[in-house]
Amino acid sequence: MPPRPPRAVFKAFYRWTRDLHLYLGLFVSPFVLVYAVSAIQFNHTLMPWGGVSNAEVAREERVVRVVVSDSKNSLEIARQVRQQIDVRGEIGYVRRKAGSREVRFPIETPGHVTTVDVDLSAGTATIQQRSTGVWDGLTYLHKMPGPHNATVRGNWLVTRFWGWTADVAVYLILFLTASGVYLWTVLRADRRTGMAFLGAGLLSFVAIIVAIVA
Amino acid sequence: MNKEPTARSAKERLRSARIRIVVRKLHNYLGLYLLTFVWLFSASGLILNHPAWSAAQFWKVREETTAQRAIIVPSATGDIELAAGLMTQLGIVGEIGEMKRSSKGDAFEFQVVRPGRVFRVEARIDSARVRVTQIRLNAWGVFDALHKFTGVSLDAPARTRDWALTKVWSLAMDALALGLMILIVSGLFLWYRFPVKRVPGLIALGAGIACCAFFLFGLGTLFG
Repeated sequence: MPPRPPRAVFKAFYRWTRDLHLYLGLFVSPFVLVYAVSAIQFNHTLMPWGGVSNAEVAREERVVRVVVSDSKNSLEIARQVRQQIDVRGEIGYVRRKAGSREVRFPIETPGHVTTVDVDLSAGTATIQQRSTGVWDGLTYLHKMPGPHNATVRGNWLVTRFWGWTADVAVYLILFLTASGVYLWTVLRADRRTGMAFLGAGLLSFVAIIVAIVA
Repeated sequence: MNKEPTARSAKERLRSARIRIVVRKLHNYLGLYLLTFVWLFSASGLILNHPAWSAAQFWKVREETTAQRAIIVPSATGDIELAAGLMTQLGIVGEIGEMKRSSKGDAFEFQVVRPGRVFRVEARIDSARVRVTQIRLNAWGVFDALHKFTGVSLDAPARTRDWALTKVWSLAMDALALGLMILIVSGLFLWYRFPVKRVPGLIALGAGIACCAFFLFGLGTLFG
């Protein structure tokens, strides 16, 4: 039989897990709040205080000259225009009818959208900037990077960085659940009640999923 | 003279310890109850964020079947009633999605969704026939759908939930969101009651707030 690890090792492991659970939990809590609040917004189509409709104020509309080499790659055109008009943000999508010399795309940051209409023949870009507000910003972050428009997604470094941050937040949440379960199992007095709550949660989860999916 | 304050402070300490125990139990038990829900939304969130992962390719491997049959056209006034009447005849259960009626009123199309399954119903009102396309998705598709299955949409605020189980699932989502908020608040309380951990905890919390604020407020201000 291999020798059992000394009690001190268990104690140190427990203390490390408890501290990591605490500090990582504190770090990730604002992210969880962003996801939880925006989840309620999605679930109730909720945009407090009027949301976009109240916040949506056309800040500026301007026409600027752009020099863009035409390309079949619409994203490449949008990138060139974005650089020339000096607006930073994620290109949400690019719309161009086949054979058309007109390209339309939005440049987005949380709470702000800049719509750009490019006329390649005239060499102009009409830019309209508007603020969509903090509530829209929350839902924007919740959806980013997301599965839609995967071919253009991450065309701005900051969006890619948010994507990595969102991944890290999920991994931290998974760590918190695992460490939380470990810390609970160590507390002998709470085991039975905890088991009842864990079982009740699992049971309600399975019951709902089976009813919805089956 | 000193006895009274000592007794009071002992009483306060006891009360404070009791509150801490109650909050700790709330934090532990609520966390355990929500565990499977958190796992589901965490895993499906990861898949949604990585469309290139093989788990996210569920749409490519969908199973699609089509069937045609005769129907008795329901005597309904509205589109939802008509769709509900047809669903009963066809034995389809789920959340009614997009609906489309031809300008003449002789054709009616609608979609019924439930996680892992999509039904596209194309009804010919004039000839009392219907074509039903059923799309089945694998377990990853179910995962993906559960993450987003609210029955409503911010892009179409007029849409309402019409299936009882969509309402149950949206309630579960709300409960999870509120539960997570309670876990955060109780976690903050438990941390604050631990004086030794206050400074390092404040650094961790501050870093998280700064990071979130940068994305939520900073991007628009700096680059907008």
